[in-house]
Amino acid sequence: MAYLQLQRDLQKLTGSAKLADAVEDVDEIIELLTAARDKIAKAQEAGDTHTMSLTLTKLQNPVKEQLDGLNTNLRHVYKAQNEFNKSLKTAFSKANGSLPTDLDPMASHTALINRAIAMHLLREGQFGVASTFINEAQPQSQTAPTPHTQQSPSILQSHMASSDYPTDTLITDADIPSDLTALQSQALQSSFADMYSILSALKAHNLLPAINWARENCIELEARGSNLEFELCKLQFIWLFKGPTVNGLPDTLDNGVQGALQYARSNFGRFQQRHLREIQQLSGAMVYSQALEYSPYNAIFDISAAFEEVASSFTREFCSLLGLSAESPLYVAATAGALALPQLVKYTSMAKAKGTEWTTAQELAFETPLPRSMLYHSIFVCPVSKEQTTDENPPVILPCGHVLARESLQRLAKGTRYKCPYCPSEGVIRDAKEIIL
Amino acid sequence: MGDTAASKLDHENHLLLDQPLLRLPTELLRKNFRSAHFELEKDATYVKNALKETATSSVNGRTAQADVLRSLDSMIARMRGVKRKLTAFAEEEEKLHRHEQARVGHLGELYAMHTVDDVKYEGWSRVRLDRLLVDYLLRRGYNESARALAREKGIEPLVDLDTFDQMSRIRKSILNRSVAEALAWCAAGDTKKELRKMDSNLEFMLRFQQYIELVRDRATKPEDVLAHARRFLFPYRDTYHREVLQACGMLALPPGLSEEVDSYSDLYSPARWEMLADLFTSTHNALLSLPPVPLLHVALSSGLSALKTPACHSTHPASAAGPPSHSTSLSLASSVCPICSTELNELARGVPYAFHSKSHVEPDLLLLPNGRAYGRARLEEYARKAGLLDGQVKDLRTGEVYSAQRLKKVYIT
Repeated sequence: MAYLQLQRDLQKLTGSAKLADAVEDVDEIIELLTAARDKIAKAQEAGDTHTMSLTLTKLQNPVKEQLDGLNTNLRHVYKAQNEFNKSLKTAFSKANGSLPTDLDPMASHTALINRAIAMHLLREGQFGVASTFINEAQPQSQTAPTPHTQQSPSILQSHMASSDYPTDTLITDADIPSDLTALQSQALQSSFADMYSILSALKAHNLLPAINWARENCIELEARGSNLEFELCKLQFIWLFKGPTVNGLPDTLDNGVQGALQYARSNFGRFQQRHLREIQQLSGAMVYSQALEYSPYNAIFDISAAFEEVASSFTREFCSLLGLSAESPLYVAATAGALALPQLVKYTSMAKAKGTEWTTAQELAFETPLPRSMLYHSIFVCPVSKEQTTDENPPVILPCGHVLARESLQRLAKGTRYKCPYCPSEGVIRDAKEIIL
Repeated sequence: MGDTAASKLDHENHLLLDQPLLRLPTELLRKNFRSAHFELEKDATYVKNALKETATSSVNGRTAQADVLRSLDSMIARMRGVKRKLTAFAEEEEKLHRHEQARVGHLGELYAMHTVDDVKYEGWSRVRLDRLLVDYLLRRGYNESARALAREKGIEPLVDLDTFDQMSRIRKSILNRSVAEALAWCAAGDTKKELRKMDSNLEFMLRFQQYIELVRDRATKPEDVLAHARRFLFPYRDTYHREVLQACGMLALPPGLSEEVDSYSDLYSPARWEMLADLFTSTHNALLSLPPVPLLHVALSSGLSALKTPACHSTHPASAAGPPSHSTSLSLASSVCPICSTELNELARGVPYAFHSKSHVEPDLLLLPNGRAYGRARLEEYARKAGLLDGQVKDLRTGEVYSAQRLKKVYIT
């Protein structure tokens, strides 16, 4: 509600008193002065001295009035601004406190932040901005110990390797030096450029570039259990099946039901083993080609959202093959930051009030709830110690199926034997096995 | 941590990061108004007094007509000058109003959403990231990139290109060892008064540096050095006692001799220019109530912690998270974790990880004989996609195939 008030006050501010009004007052003063001057000048020519003092005396009051009016106008502007400032303060009065700017753990990591930004720009397809940025940020990072000359052979190598074995396109931390110059010449930029050209083709409902990419990387994709290639081919089949009235492609033998059949014959063979059922369904639909909407296959052929779906799964696969997350990490982190910030502010102001110091311990001292979509790893909190499990204190599973942190189990045990805290079963510590969640 | 509770938007707290966005235009408006007022006052008083004087003297018959005309002309010229300046201020005001309107509108969009799952939220949040990025770029002095990004995204009214442009120009001039522009900034409009109000030592330090340069340059006449000191340093000897004493001592220890005396060689050090540039930046930001650190830093340090889990930097050989290698399969997970992703991994190393009081694991966990556990739904989906025989499952990361009979139920309490 306070924000609505703010919006209203803003209208008041921009609508009412402005400096432009004062300009009008000044105009009038200039007019008065010029008029008086002309009068006096004319009188001078006529040799009239009386007019001069009369005009000057007469001029006094109007000019003074105008000047006063000018001041009143300014006062209005001042008042309007003050009111808006007050409104601004109330609009945010319910916020928890002020930003925690005393301690800035990011201050010493400029190079890493710059790198993250450069990668973010590339991944968003902002190639122009990215190269401006890389050029501008470069002089600072030249102090980095890695000289450019040393970098290039490794780039070349990874580039060559990538053309031979697609499996090596994975970009590891070592490939992306903090030296931003290398980023520009790197495979990364061309990778993202490829991704964007494929995505824009997908947007135009042209599946072929994506299918080609998937085919080139099929070994990798298969190892990841990804069906992308088949999904793409299947969509291409359906797309052709719909015929020229829907897909707008030329009405030739390569299009329509005929073309789809052709496409299936030449492409589906490789998928026979894994996707036999789906291929059967697709060919079964052939029978109903005239009245698809009344057939049991109608659902498969509904492609209203299909292109967006394959586009997003393509982006995900493409980024995963590069070892990157599909969403820009910078975006996710900044959004999570805004969501978690209120807790952080609340905690730091409480800590300040109590005089306790903010400690950079390993774990935050307060919970920062995030929506489910922002949880990426399984998190296991030991039900006994209420601690999160870590490398040093991993979760272990007891033969009865209950899971505890290892340290908790060791504390519970008497000698080598324990009793499960959640069920009547007993056992020896040796039988508790580490579990990876 | 209920999902609905976590995704509900608490608008005012959610906008903690964005308050400075609305505040800067109002600060600039105030500054603009003060400068306009200052100029106007000066000339209005002149015209008022001049008019009165001319009138009185002409009534008394002491002034010739030509002189009256001349003084009227000068009044007119003054007022024309006022008009010109005022028009510029009015234009600036107009622009600031436009900025404030755009910003209030932009933040207002958030008030129309109630959860972060709102379809519009992502778009809004992306604009916020772009704003944070431009702010960061500007503060780092990457003005070209900032401008390019703002133009590309069409968010110019939401970022403060001009303000930071001016700041980085002055900052650069200080780093190029010139105090002139910074001193001019200190003296412009009512900045001087404001600086005094906040007890800033910026102007004194700039003058002190000027003095140091005079002493350093052996060609300067001693009188000039003394004159500078008398005019700019000695009046402040109570406030800046130490510096004034050092200034006096410097006369006895020219650059060549000072090397053995630490406190004096520091004064001649080029590092002082960086100190001055930083002092200028922080003073400038404080004066305009800009946050002292880039907001991106604030967002990142809180966001990295909130997202980070112990698994993100795990060195455990069998770790669930480890770097994604080719044999591992994460494609069934919704996405690679942003902290594990190359961009942020190193950056997040130093921050604490999030605190959780409850476990978050997949529903219906099944344990594979190799010690890894996955949700039943995921295992089944993967088995289907991989075209396994019925009754077989495949490890999503290692690719090992097991019979479903060897799976064991896991109970997470």
